[in-house]
Amino acid sequence: MKRTKEPTYSQDAQKALENHVLQSSLKKLQNRFGKGVMEYWAAKDDDELRDRVKRRRMSTIENLDVVLSLLADNVQKAGGHVYFAKTGSDAVKYCLRVAQKNEVKTVVKGKSMLSAEIGVDKALEQQGVEVVETDLGEFIIQLAGDAPSHIIAPCIHLNRQQIGKLFQEKLGIDYTDDPPELTRAARGALRRKMIDADMGITGCNFACAETGKISLVSNEGNIRMATTMPRIHLALMGIERIAATMQEHQGMLQLLTRGAALQKLSTYVSFVGGPKSEGDPDGPEEFHLVLVDNGRSKILGDPEFREVLACLRCGACLNICPVYGRIGGHAYHSPYPGPIGAVVSPLLFGMNQHADLCKGESLCGACLDICPVKIDLPRMLLALRHKLAYGDAKWQARQHKPSEAFAFKLYRLIISNSMFYRLALRCARLLQKPFMGKSGMIGKMMGPGARWTNDRDLPPLAREPFNRRWKKKHSRNQKRNNEVNHG
Amino acid sequence: MDEKGVFLADIRTALGYTKEETRDMEQCPAVFADVDDSLILDRIQYRTHVEKQALLQILQDNGEQLRLEVHPVSSLDAAAETIVAIIKSTKPEFSTARQIIQHDHPDLIELGLWKRMAGEAVHVHTAYSNDSEVREKSVESFIGITVPRWAVAESATVVQITGPGRPRSTSLLPSVHIALIRLEHVLADLTEVYALLGDEPPKESFVFITGSSKTADIEAHMVHGAHGPRQTHLVVIDELMVQKTTPLKGSGIFASAEI
Ligand code: SF4
Repeated sequence: MKRTKEPTYSQDAQKALENHVLQSSLKKLQNRFGKGVMEYWAAKDDDELRDRVKRRRMSTIENLDVVLSLLADNVQKAGGHVYFAKTGSDAVKYCLRVAQKNEVKTVVKGKSMLSAEIGVDKALEQQGVEVVETDLGEFIIQLAGDAPSHIIAPCIHLNRQQIGKLFQEKLGIDYTDDPPELTRAARGALRRKMIDADMGITGCNFACAETGKISLVSNEGNIRMATTMPRIHLALMGIERIAATMQEHQGMLQLLTRGAALQKLSTYVSFVGGPKSEGDPDGPEEFHLVLVDNGRSKILGDPEFREVLACLRCGACLNICPVYGRIGGHAYHSPYPGPIGAVVSPLLFGMNQHADLCKGESLCGACLDICPVKIDLPRMLLALRHKLAYGDAKWQARQHKPSEAFAFKLYRLIISNSMFYRLALRCARLLQKPFMGKSGMIGKMMGPGARWTNDRDLPPLAREPFNRRWKKKHSRNQKRNNEVNHG
Repeated sequence: MDEKGVFLADIRTALGYTKEETRDMEQCPAVFADVDDSLILDRIQYRTHVEKQALLQILQDNGEQLRLEVHPVSSLDAAAETIVAIIKSTKPEFSTARQIIQHDHPDLIELGLWKRMAGEAVHVHTAYSNDSEVREKSVESFIGITVPRWAVAESATVVQITGPGRPRSTSLLPSVHIALIRLEHVLADLTEVYALLGDEPPKESFVFITGSSKTADIEAHMVHGAHGPRQTHLVVIDELMVQKTTPLKGSGIFASAEI
């Protein structure tokens, strides 16, 4: 995913910290939804639902072969096509084939992270197909040639003035920064596109194996449009996004809409799973379900990480994470940002390519507390760090920073030998003198230490080590004690 | 092994089974076991009129914040009057012509809207399943009228099941969606919907609609009418209701007139 020229995690994080629009939107978002969801969980007297959904989710995932097979059979029975894509590029090739066969000129899309993961938009565009994002936030991002920065609020890094200018330039409307007017402009511009498009591409929130339907959740209605008006509907689905039964589906849906935006239910929850039947004036003539593995079965096969497949993609962990809350989504360089992204991006796209992510998170545990299905992301972040520190053959993880490992080895050697240790301390005490500022703190270090002091001052080593002070004080006390006892 | 076989074999290996060990539902009955919902179905069946009216009140309250305006009426005739008032106070958004599309449902036919709107230059279409122009008519219509299967009090949701004469676009393309339902089809919560759906899973597509289309993508500012209807009305017929003297909440209806 990451190209060499791209700015690093730290550079992008730095940029985000300087972006005032982003900072204030993130704060608002976290105050409203992060805190709101935490309060909601706290106010509910039993969190039996969360535990129950998690249990069912795990047992479905542990029988994924059976559940997926049933789903595929049911979709086919309803007249839909099912394609099993081992890799992202298999999935993309299939989409291209469907588009080509049906002479598709325009595709309208409903927001789908999986489509970004496999890069289907670019491939279609290279084939001369026009691809239009229809979710308002994604549409704005597409017009701006930008990348989304939040799972459910893709354009929180832009303010209304920026969007107003963008619309003036790209849609040719008079400048306005009024959100209702801007929305109306997009509504007008996208309506014709959605009615006339040849193909709709969507993701899939959750499929239900028992009924052979996939379900799609949206507030805007764009996904309903994309699954109703075009001749062809193609849904991309990660293999783990599935419920065995409708009862399981209900729990997942309720936790998803609560966790994502404190809603009892989103405006539209559509259940589709085949071509329209005879006599139906709308609905697609062809329905394709593309089941995408792309590294997921590998996660499934590792008990340490299997749990992450239970994720509902609600985005709640983004809304509480103190790291995401400062640096936003772009620094993660992945369609999956935030704490959930810090775990799945390395697993899907390579640990070394995304090594910074698990180190950037603070391990405060907030993501675990807020997660509707209590996914232990902090535990998995630590597991990732461990693999990066020592290397891991199964995940093709190289030791991330051999120099760091060497430094720690040296450190171990020094602290386990009292003579070395004292000597090292004495040297350090001498060496730190030139770096001490007026405040008596160390404000600047050299070499690899420089990054430690870029954003903070460090207290210097004490002139007298603790154990010596302790001994002195202790011996004085001892003496006094002796005197009292014997006096 | 075919493409599906290979794909599933990889998943099986990941789960610790051998590639050859194909499994089916019989090996994991617990995954497909549903909690018995006969009590829920009984509760729906034996609900009294007073209880249903209480649900209607909850539905009305919950709809308010979601731009779902609930209008309780006592007869089909009163329903027609309410709908006519909404039509009269609404301006078309995407075209100048005043066209309406309605589902092919006996209750809607009985309303006789085309007669009632005769003097108003409003054209009323019905989505007959043999009409090849329903799609175009829906695109042109500024109001869509449907009869949903159920309405849900707790979340202010209506459930539509696609079928002949009941296309999906009627509740999607027009700027205003009016749903007409009888009180006996008002349910308490989503659990009841899932229980009924599980009892008789629809073959066709279906949708839960909760309020009007909305977005908060620009600076988290809530705007109604993103891609779907910007205003939704639910007219509920309760034939045992004592006739109210003020059948309409005027303010709500006029709010829908501004685009
Ligand atoms: S990890 Fe939990 S909180 Fe984060 S997106 Fe997934 S389900 Fe939501």
